[in-house]
Amino acid sequence: MSKAGSEPQKTMKKASKDQDSFYVDAEERLETLRGPKEEEAVSAALLPSVHRRDFMKLFSVGAAASAAACVRRPAEKIIPYASQPIDYTPGKPFHYATTCGGCAAGCGMMVKTRDGRPTKIEGNKEHPLNRGGMCALGQAEIQGLYHPERLDGPMQRTGAAWQKTEWQKALKTIAAKLKTSKKVGIITRGSTGSRHKFFREVLVRLGAKESNLYTWEANALYSTVGRAHKLAFGHETIPRYRFSKAEVVVAIGSDFLVSGLSPVEHSKDFARRRGSTRRSYLAQFESHTTLTGAKADDRYVIPPGFELTVALLLLRSLYENQASKGSSSTRSEIEKILAEHREKLEKAYAQLNFSRNDFDALATKVLAKPTIIIAGSGANFDSNASLLQLAVILCNELAGSYGETLHIDNMWVNSPVRSGDLKRFVADAPDLDALFVIDTDPVFSAPSQWQVKEAIARIATVVSIQPFPVDTGKLAHFALPSHHNLEAWGDEHPNAGLWSLRQPTVRPTRHSWQAEDIMLWLLAYVDKPLPFKNYHAYLQRQMEAVYDLVKPSIPFPVFMKVVQRTGFTLKLTKRSRSFVTSVSKYFSKLKEPASGLVLMTYLDHRLVDGRGAHLPVLQEIGDALTSIAWDTWVALNPHTMHKMGIRRNELLTIKGPGGVVEAAAYPLPGLHPNSVVIPRGNGHTDDRSTISNNNGVNPLAAIGYDLDPLTEEPVSSGQRVSIATTKRWHRLAAMQKADDDLQGRNDIIKTMSLDRLQHKKRLKKSLDDVPDLFPKLESAQYRWGMSVDLDKCSGCGACMAACAIENNIPQVGREQILMGREMHWIRLDRYFRKDLNEPEISVQPVMCQQCNHAPCEAVCPVLATTHDPEGINSMTYNRCVGTRYCANACPYKVRRFNWWTYRWGEIGNKERDRNPRPTNPDVTVRTKGVMEKCSFCLQRLHEVKNKAKLAKRHVYDGEVKTACQQTCPMDAIKFGNLNDSTSLITKKRSDPRAYLVLGGEPEHGHYGLKTLPNVNYLAKISLKEVASEHGEDKHGGGH
Amino acid sequence: MSEEVAWKRSISDVNSGILVGIDKPAPTYYLALAFSVLCLVIGAAAWINQIYHGMGMAGLNSPVYWGVYITNFVFWVGIGHAGTLISAILFLFRAKWRNSINRSAEAMTVFAVITAGLFPLIHVGRIWFAAYWMLPLPNTNGLWINFRSPLIWDVFAISTYLTVSLLFWYMGLVPDLASIRDRVKGFRRLVYGFMSFGWTGSIRQWHHYETGYALLAALATPLVLSVHSIVSWDFSMAMQPGWHTTIFPPYFVAGAILSGCAMVYSLVVPLRKMFQLEEFIRKEHLEALIKLTLLTSTIVSYSYGVEFFIAWYSGNHYEWVIFLKRATGPYAFYFWTMVACNCVFPVAFWSKKIRTHIPTAFVITVLVNVGMWFERYNIIVSSLVEDFIPGSWGHYQPSWTEIAITLGSFGWFFTWLLIFCRFFPLVSMSELKLIMPKPLRGKAKKGEAHG
Repeated sequence: MSKAGSEPQKTMKKASKDQDSFYVDAEERLETLRGPKEEEAVSAALLPSVHRRDFMKLFSVGAAASAAACVRRPAEKIIPYASQPIDYTPGKPFHYATTCGGCAAGCGMMVKTRDGRPTKIEGNKEHPLNRGGMCALGQAEIQGLYHPERLDGPMQRTGAAWQKTEWQKALKTIAAKLKTSKKVGIITRGSTGSRHKFFREVLVRLGAKESNLYTWEANALYSTVGRAHKLAFGHETIPRYRFSKAEVVVAIGSDFLVSGLSPVEHSKDFARRRGSTRRSYLAQFESHTTLTGAKADDRYVIPPGFELTVALLLLRSLYENQASKGSSSTRSEIEKILAEHREKLEKAYAQLNFSRNDFDALATKVLAKPTIIIAGSGANFDSNASLLQLAVILCNELAGSYGETLHIDNMWVNSPVRSGDLKRFVADAPDLDALFVIDTDPVFSAPSQWQVKEAIARIATVVSIQPFPVDTGKLAHFALPSHHNLEAWGDEHPNAGLWSLRQPTVRPTRHSWQAEDIMLWLLAYVDKPLPFKNYHAYLQRQMEAVYDLVKPSIPFPVFMKVVQRTGFTLKLTKRSRSFVTSVSKYFSKLKEPASGLVLMTYLDHRLVDGRGAHLPVLQEIGDALTSIAWDTWVALNPHTMHKMGIRRNELLTIKGPGGVVEAAAYPLPGLHPNSVVIPRGNGHTDDRSTISNNNGVNPLAAIGYDLDPLTEEPVSSGQRVSIATTKRWHRLAAMQKADDDLQGRNDIIKTMSLDRLQHKKRLKKSLDDVPDLFPKLESAQYRWGMSVDLDKCSGCGACMAACAIENNIPQVGREQILMGREMHWIRLDRYFRKDLNEPEISVQPVMCQQCNHAPCEAVCPVLATTHDPEGINSMTYNRCVGTRYCANACPYKVRRFNWWTYRWGEIGNKERDRNPRPTNPDVTVRTKGVMEKCSFCLQRLHEVKNKAKLAKRHVYDGEVKTACQQTCPMDAIKFGNLNDSTSLITKKRSDPRAYLVLGGEPEHGHYGLKTLPNVNYLAKISLKEVASEHGEDKHGGGH
Repeated sequence: MSEEVAWKRSISDVNSGILVGIDKPAPTYYLALAFSVLCLVIGAAAWINQIYHGMGMAGLNSPVYWGVYITNFVFWVGIGHAGTLISAILFLFRAKWRNSINRSAEAMTVFAVITAGLFPLIHVGRIWFAAYWMLPLPNTNGLWINFRSPLIWDVFAISTYLTVSLLFWYMGLVPDLASIRDRVKGFRRLVYGFMSFGWTGSIRQWHHYETGYALLAALATPLVLSVHSIVSWDFSMAMQPGWHTTIFPPYFVAGAILSGCAMVYSLVVPLRKMFQLEEFIRKEHLEALIKLTLLTSTIVSYSYGVEFFIAWYSGNHYEWVIFLKRATGPYAFYFWTMVACNCVFPVAFWSKKIRTHIPTAFVITVLVNVGMWFERYNIIVSSLVEDFIPGSWGHYQPSWTEIAITLGSFGWFFTWLLIFCRFFPLVSMSELKLIMPKPLRGKAKKGEAHG
């Protein structure tokens, strides 16, 4: 070890200058970005305020009382069954299959309920879309169910005052208003299920037009992709992307892995082509740094708004390539488009700083192998958004992707929205007498210049039917609580031939009604009833139609039971595909991208358009690229910041055509110098929830009125803005602090070149073969191990959300995160490398490494953390006295301390009646003064082991899944028995890419800290040469 | 050394001269006591508040799980070093100058160790369990302690040290208590009589006393070295870069003696004024103390140098980065304060003029203690903020609770010390008599002053 470090001084100097070394924050490369010292330090104001009265009370009673003042949870009555159902064992969980309602993708989920209460959501592993995976938003739905700020009964507004009312009374009052009017409208969120059809029937029944149903989704991808396909192929559909078949993926400003059309499905597919030699190639052109871009093999930074230009340049190179496909009519259309924009395209090479050869080379690559070209994400919903999709369709036609990797002829994706509805709504609103706002929040999620608020405010009767209060609800005259997704009946029809059923998993926890049932009751009150007892009956009728299509050999009631059990039903559906209309004419609508600083607002992958903002777990997991939780930041290119003299955490005013927003600056490497990037989702100023209230800003306030000419959907990006500093500071709650520097430590993140991987079949030396003085590992039946594939991990944060919910991990709030007291058992570390403008980005999930030679175990004075015979480093919470020595000793810093008793009634410093975190009865709830950490989901392990024991067998490989592994959309995490030589985890541990974090370089005889973790990582794969593979070891030595 | 002491008083003045403070303390005494109690109350309030609300009241976080509390712990243990060193080791070395200050040094030791002992309790998350789960008490649950943990060694080391120091200190008190007993009347006489165990001052008793005292001194001597070595293992046994180093035990012991000597000086100077003991604790005694401070300061400076050198020479990347950042990073202020206070200012003591100029020396010894506090803070905090994985690095700043409790610890220490001064002789009368001139031969040749 001394050999390598013989010249540490040199290494240090080298590390600071070496462009190839890792860095955590842009400040390491550009000193001027660093915020002032006072800002970095924790100010006393951040310390939790103790109420004065609390303090006085405490001291009047004195010290003796403080021991008695330990907080106990309020007592709740448990009532046993008078006669217990025979198939039910108390405490034994039931799993219900249902469909996620987070976004419109329609993933299947399995809800674990115990004693009638859902405790955890998991992906339905049979479901053809998500195949077991689940994103953070889906995981967090359970918090939405138990959220204390859900309405408990209908509310009526008179003037500005809200008061509680009775259901029947409210419905009668609304019905009385409906009797006199036929001008009724419904605005609702996107859905592919029977919902929209039902609402149309309701509208017709009420005497209104069918077209008075307006659908609204802030994710304009649905409408742009749908509309582009309508123009090109005649059907408003979205293709099914099969990333598992694509060997080349060209993404143009797309963030398909975390916030696209169907992120989990795409991630699952894409991951199958990652982490092995049959790896796909991903090229990304983007002006904003996305998590998908972070996974790209070649990431090209383009000026904001140039996505369409890139698509056209690629189209040109594809067109001129001999190998390109496409019918003659398609080719003549393309010919026309290219001819029309020839001059512009010639100029574009220089603007983009690419040569024509670059695109020709990419075209050759695209044509040689099965390809997907995918474009668009929230950051580029500009006025060219649909044209971009159209250009990409043409590219895919030339690449021959349709029918091979893209399917619009079988199992195509249904569009959940009708494009242009918001514009229609704003135009129609003055004529409406009554409006139902169902499960959507256009006031918050549409740009304010669209005047949606004003339009709704003018309507005589507005009824807001929401599972959780939204900003739009404040304008309503009636706020009626509807069932949460987990309490409601419903369905989704995400793909042609795939019907996914939604069923209640719990008795309604509040006095809420199913939204559709409310409409049925209203119809009854206006004496125009529909012939259904409730929406469930309507759904049955819809399923009968499906039954007729599927034609199973079982009777309908049995079929329904099967669907309820599996959650979905399938029927292969096909249609013919033909390229119909001429599309070249649309390209005359092409708009020049804005110059100067351009504002890009994008849909945060956790909070989406704001629908996740009231869920503390989503706020808390933070954004993987910036590591910021609980806030809105404005990301800028570090060099731009340097030039403008802006520093980190400096509050900026961003003045756009629509108005001004104020947010703190964050230097994000990899952004184009002209990009001003702000996430959407936060910035609720209404009384929606104390979690989201006054948390961040809504960047849409700066967006001017503009629309996409083809879809007529609002533009939310790509507008020129100016930036000014306010000379004020706002500390962003970044979980990774500035000043971090890997300093040439290359046993944390490792990269292996694909070339080397192809020649190296397995590890030369077992990872466990570490020379040391410790006794050999015990040979028990099991030794549990985990493997994390860094080539797969996308940094979506689903693991963090799943872990928090499975393990009763509290959310601590912004102030505590600023203090560095987040409680994540699994965290995401993010490192940059190389140039600030074109960085290589690595994301690394870090959980307890379950060291076999654990530094933490030796130091605990009371034996509260010990090694179990199966290799797990276990915590005995009851025994812990909180010396925190273990956490100091832990080189991975994965231990978390309960600085407070995170009570049921609090999230961070925000007082609650009842915590929205549901608790898992299998996991101890920790109190103040106790250390905790990842347990490898010991409770799940025990459940499976008990089951195996009863069946007198061993645990099968893959039978136990930890919460993070189960949910991981990228399948990056594997778990299993290391003592089973045939198990998958053993293979992963001997994979040529396998390494131990802080484990040195065993191949060169350096073993790092020799903690011998049971968690191993698999190195990232690089298409380029990796410098460290040439025997250069400037590593960090061990002890 | 005592040879050079210019005594103005003889042993016949000892009892009356030393006990004058007990009979009638100066007004400054009450002022000091009131201030100490105030600090103590503030600290106690902050602690109770912290127990009620949780450890979050401290500025601690991940990754800085240890902060001011452990700094204070090590600081007070360090202070508690000088007493036993002065009374036991110097006793065995027959350094007679110690006789005038050993009582105050021992008292300081006892109270400092008691103060130090509070900090692990203040520091732990669940004090209501820590107090007895850290002890190897047999119980029905079959739960046992982890003998591999340096914190357990601490428990043993500190409690042993406290016991021996306490015995040593009390044993030395017995003849003096008897002297007081003989002076006072009524209830006080009863109490002092009880406390002096019927000491009559017979030759036989003196014989046993001397033997026992020497044995206890021999027993205490290794403890002086062991306690701080074991405290240093809290750090050096953990894998943390900046902690994991073999130099820690001697380095910590040297540091502890430095801070202990400096603290004795800073305490004795005001106390001798307050209790009018200038005639008994002479300038020459104080100078001897300063010389010891200078010696240990030199050892400490050397240790700093060696520590840095080894960090570089070992080639351990993590270690070197920590050391570089200590000197140049965000915590450089603490580092350079430490260097200035512990290595640079004491250099002035090479000058006899400064050494014997009590106000200047007093200021420097106070600064040395500030520096020693910063040394521990520096070791603990700057190593924790940035360790192996940069992704989890952090910052630390003490909260007002930690500052209040630190203040409270001084209040606690001084309250005990001042109460002690009020009821017990601050200078060991019996031992002082050994080095003072005898009344009849007082003006005789200097060399015969000690019998």
